[in-house]
Amino acid sequence: MQRTTHRSPLLARPVIVAMAAAVALTATSCAKSEDDASAGGKSPSAAADAGQKVASPKPGGKTCTIDAYGGEKLDLEGATVGFSQSEKEANPFRIAETQSIKDEAAKRGVKLLTANAQSQFSKQISDVQDLLAKGADLLVIAPLNSDGWDPVLQAAAAKKVPIVTIDRKINATACEDYVSFIASDFVEQGRRAADLMIEATGGKGEVAILLGAAGNNVTTERTKGFKDRVAEKAPGLKVVFEQTGDFAREKGQQVTEQLIQSKPGIKGIYAENDEMGLGAVAALKGAGKKAGDVEIVTVDGTRNAVQGIVDGWITGVVESNPRFGPLAFETLDAFTQGKEVAQDIIIEDGAYDASNAERDLGRAYH
Amino acid sequence: MAPPAEVLAVRGLSKTFPGVRALDDVDLTLHPGEVHALIGENGAGKSTLIKLLTGVHRPDAGDIVFQGRAVSFATPLEAQKAGISTIYQEVNLIPLLSVARNLFLGREPRTRFGLLDFARMHEEAGETLRAHGVRVDVRLPLRALGVGAQQMVALARAVATEARVVIMDEPTSSLEPREVETLFSVIRRLRDDGIAVVYVSHRLDELYAVCDTVTVLRDGRRVHHGRLADLDRLSLVSTMLGRELGEVRKEGLTKFTGDHHASGTRPVLEARDLTVPHRLRGVSVTVRPGEVVGLGGLLGSGRTETAKAISGALATSSGRVVVAGVPLRGGSTPAAIRAGVSLLPEDRKSEGIVPGLSVRENIALAVLPRLSRFGLVSEARVDRVVDTFIERLRIKASSPHQKVGELSGGNQQKVLLARWLAMNPKVLLLDEPTRGIDVGAKAEVQKLVDELAEDGLAVLLISSDLEELIEGSDRVVVLKDGAVVGELAGDEVTEDTLMRTIAGHAPAGRTAVRPAGHTAVAPAGHTAGATAAEEAGDG
Amino acid sequence: MAEAALRTAPPDRTRVLQWLQTYGVYAGVALLLVVNIAVTPYFLSAENFRTQAVQVAPVIIVAIGMALVIGTEGIDLSVGAVMALAASVTALYLGYGLLPALLVVAVFAAAIGLANGALVALVGVQPIVATLALMVGGRGLALVLLPQLEDLRNPGLASLGSGAVLGVPYLILVAGVLALLAAFVVRRTTFGRQLLAIGDSRPAAQLAGLPVRRVLIIVYVLCALLAAVAGVLATARLQASDPTSLGNLMELSAITAVVVGGTPLTGGRVNIAGTVAGAVLIQLLTATLIKHDLPPSWTQIAQAIVIVCAVYAARGRGKR
Repeated sequence: MQRTTHRSPLLARPVIVAMAAAVALTATSCAKSEDDASAGGKSPSAAADAGQKVASPKPGGKTCTIDAYGGEKLDLEGATVGFSQSEKEANPFRIAETQSIKDEAAKRGVKLLTANAQSQFSKQISDVQDLLAKGADLLVIAPLNSDGWDPVLQAAAAKKVPIVTIDRKINATACEDYVSFIASDFVEQGRRAADLMIEATGGKGEVAILLGAAGNNVTTERTKGFKDRVAEKAPGLKVVFEQTGDFAREKGQQVTEQLIQSKPGIKGIYAENDEMGLGAVAALKGAGKKAGDVEIVTVDGTRNAVQGIVDGWITGVVESNPRFGPLAFETLDAFTQGKEVAQDIIIEDGAYDASNAERDLGRAYH
Repeated sequence: MAPPAEVLAVRGLSKTFPGVRALDDVDLTLHPGEVHALIGENGAGKSTLIKLLTGVHRPDAGDIVFQGRAVSFATPLEAQKAGISTIYQEVNLIPLLSVARNLFLGREPRTRFGLLDFARMHEEAGETLRAHGVRVDVRLPLRALGVGAQQMVALARAVATEARVVIMDEPTSSLEPREVETLFSVIRRLRDDGIAVVYVSHRLDELYAVCDTVTVLRDGRRVHHGRLADLDRLSLVSTMLGRELGEVRKEGLTKFTGDHHASGTRPVLEARDLTVPHRLRGVSVTVRPGEVVGLGGLLGSGRTETAKAISGALATSSGRVVVAGVPLRGGSTPAAIRAGVSLLPEDRKSEGIVPGLSVRENIALAVLPRLSRFGLVSEARVDRVVDTFIERLRIKASSPHQKVGELSGGNQQKVLLARWLAMNPKVLLLDEPTRGIDVGAKAEVQKLVDELAEDGLAVLLISSDLEELIEGSDRVVVLKDGAVVGELAGDEVTEDTLMRTIAGHAPAGRTAVRPAGHTAVAPAGHTAGATAAEEAGDG
Repeated sequence: MAEAALRTAPPDRTRVLQWLQTYGVYAGVALLLVVNIAVTPYFLSAENFRTQAVQVAPVIIVAIGMALVIGTEGIDLSVGAVMALAASVTALYLGYGLLPALLVVAVFAAAIGLANGALVALVGVQPIVATLALMVGGRGLALVLLPQLEDLRNPGLASLGSGAVLGVPYLILVAGVLALLAAFVVRRTTFGRQLLAIGDSRPAAQLAGLPVRRVLIIVYVLCALLAAVAGVLATARLQASDPTSLGNLMELSAITAVVVGGTPLTGGRVNIAGTVAGAVLIQLLTATLIKHDLPPSWTQIAQAIVIVCAVYAARGRGKR
């Protein structure tokens, strides 16, 4: 039978599109957030970044030289470096990471080409190929995946372009397909968080863990480090509660609310990232607890969390250092001058507690 | 001439569905090169017969002998592989695949490596379609084609599968006149090639243009078979409808009193030149207050479409509707309802009742805004209206809160009538108001229609029940192929004249009102019909 | 008639299913309460019930809107995205004060609802497809407007999130009032009745002259507005706007609450009380498993079991 309606599809679509566009335009043109009045201090400048130490190489670690890798020496100053970022700079870590690379390049007078893969691996591959085509002499890559890099590595090898990967390793042969890998040690971060927790609680009582997203290596490694260290150093400290907060503040808040209802005697909460820790703080506040009633230790080192230490709600924050710039360029500089560099470099993570939080607040990334 | 051995012989075929004897002891014989018309009104059993032949359903009793062997197809695909192809009213191909892929679906040519041979497929598809008068790029997706062209692709596919029997179920319902001509030439070629065709259509012109033999079904039984040329149109129509010619008009079979007095001369409903592509060609109808006007015609003649076009449920491409002097905005049901037009739809179950809601909610559905203030429903006023109509129409439900879906058909129909009467309409369009309801309810509905007309309501009545139509109507407008072919008034409102008008014969010794000069038995039925429609439309 | 006779003798199984359909969700809630009171320490406290109610309030609000949409035989996948959009728009306009910010949020939500409604009612796109487009687009827009989490310090917003009247948090009050309002609209207004008729049989509603397109558009706008309310409340409670994760998978929680609450996906019926109970059931289930520190995957399995039971119970009616 016939359709009994008569519609105007030709009209409706453009109207919706136009409406959406108009709304988006209006929204951004006359927006006024709380911070607009007191702008400043908001830009994620990494001015206080200067210091960065290498925790590794340990003596005896594998190294790499330009002769072994194949390629020619060059002067980093005046060279062109390509940087491929994996995810949109929408979270504090990525923002600080990219910023640190840019700042260091500017400082050293290096010409920097950047690309962002927006979480699409195929885009990252073509990004890197573009960077090579545009004449990058050296590459810094923050990989989205560990696998699937063969086409890029072949192209780079053909041009003898040295590659340094940061924050995630790629599955390839060091000093052959790439030069070095610079990253944080997530297990170590968990251990240090445990140290902070043991110190704060005196090594006795019941503690809870707010786990990160399930099936994520960061979650498993930060959990392992924490539990191993607690078992080893403070058998009196018991982990009685482990629930996921999905690395999100709201989820951290909800889970903590359930936790303090059912286990009012909990002494400490280890949150595997700052956001969940801040969620836990919100839950404690909502339940009428006072600052310091429950010891909270988190990992990441964002400014909000460090501010939490200053305010007394958070006991300690283990930093996961996003500022790869200085170390990456240092490595490339040494390498291109013909010096020996380590294949695996562990970046040193800072830590914040009541003793340094106020002083180092400006250092925390935003 | 001695007919060659039969290609298909069906004997004693019966099929019962829950509550319905759909097919009862039906025989059918087809010879190679025979074009056989299969006709019957709604519910006569045509679809069931086709479905049994093509393996959609299994018969309860009877044999199907195809090319000398008793067969029992499990699926339509099996039937098609054996050599019985079917093309349906609605194209049943795959819209997103290319024309060529559709044409070769399931029997694609392969290369030596077992891959699809697209080159060959495209070439052969182009040739096949050109032979059917369709010139298109065979690599286009099927949906890019017009409906007519799609139908031709379906036909070409059916024929190309080396069919011995091709069944066509209303193949012309969405075709343009030119395409109908092409279809006929293809059918003639099939006949020359010795392929048997079963042709189902309600368009008499088409049947006479292309068919050799005929089987008429009525209420699941075969009531006639033989050469089509031996049966004139009038006899055909009367056989189909089950009425003897010249049969005395029986009084009192229905609850209609028969006489109404059209009060006032000014029509309350004036529909002029309603045109809907493929459905209506310039239909004009007027109804005066207190008058019951019947819409006569065979299935598919455009009766339902006329009612829907008037009520705004079907968008018209031209024409206008004036109710009590006020022109209606076309294509808007709410506008028509506001103007006082109410439609009782033919498909009660899917377009009429809201099955999950209660009797009360169903009755109040349309009138609800009038029983509300500021969007809030006044339950007391709803109760008053609902109680009034439950009593007046004697609706039998356990309570007003019983779900309408649980009521009998007759009571559902009464609920729908109540829904419209609560709106206090000026014009009531009744499309098959008594179909599928029991005898008692039927009588009640008929009596009610009479009363409503007495009270000054204008009623347009559509019914396949001839008695109902003849006895209930003051005037009957006869439709055929989407156009008005005649109008009967006063003494002319008899089954005899009605059937003659439907068949296209001017009633003997009588001048029908506006016979519209439609008597030509032209193969190009559509062209002739179109002219007739234009003339009738002017009236 | 034969039809009527068939219906008067339902087998026992059908009766059990019908009972489950109507009261199963309440029985489930009661069962969980009893079990928890027996085995969960500190469960029987005002503070605990307050926590559960506050956590479930945004889900209830979204689920109410979802129930209305499902009543029209539709579905709205964009509710989570609308929550995120509400969060980012709140942060973006809070500089003008709380009330103006909320008004802008309402405008944005209404625009999304209007787009959903227009696609479904005017263009004739299937609801699941139309709202999927806005689910992706809405969250995208939210992230464009506010790329990362932002802390909010507006005192009005803070008190909305954590304040209370006579010991009852605003969140619970708002959810309660909205639920009562929705139940009233469905039962007592022309709009509510028309909504049900359209959901039950759209062709019949159309031929009965109901304003089908208008009702559909309003329903989608209402659903988006309710999702925006939930987004603002969740943001207020968190005291931070987090468009990246706020409202993630909310559409599924809401649909689950609606279905578990006895509203059929086939439309024509809206059970607001059941929807509220459905949301509470899922909340209690999650809380039970978290409080006993069972692995998170158990929560998902338990939810799946509840849904399967609900769908099984709903089957009885679907066949009519």
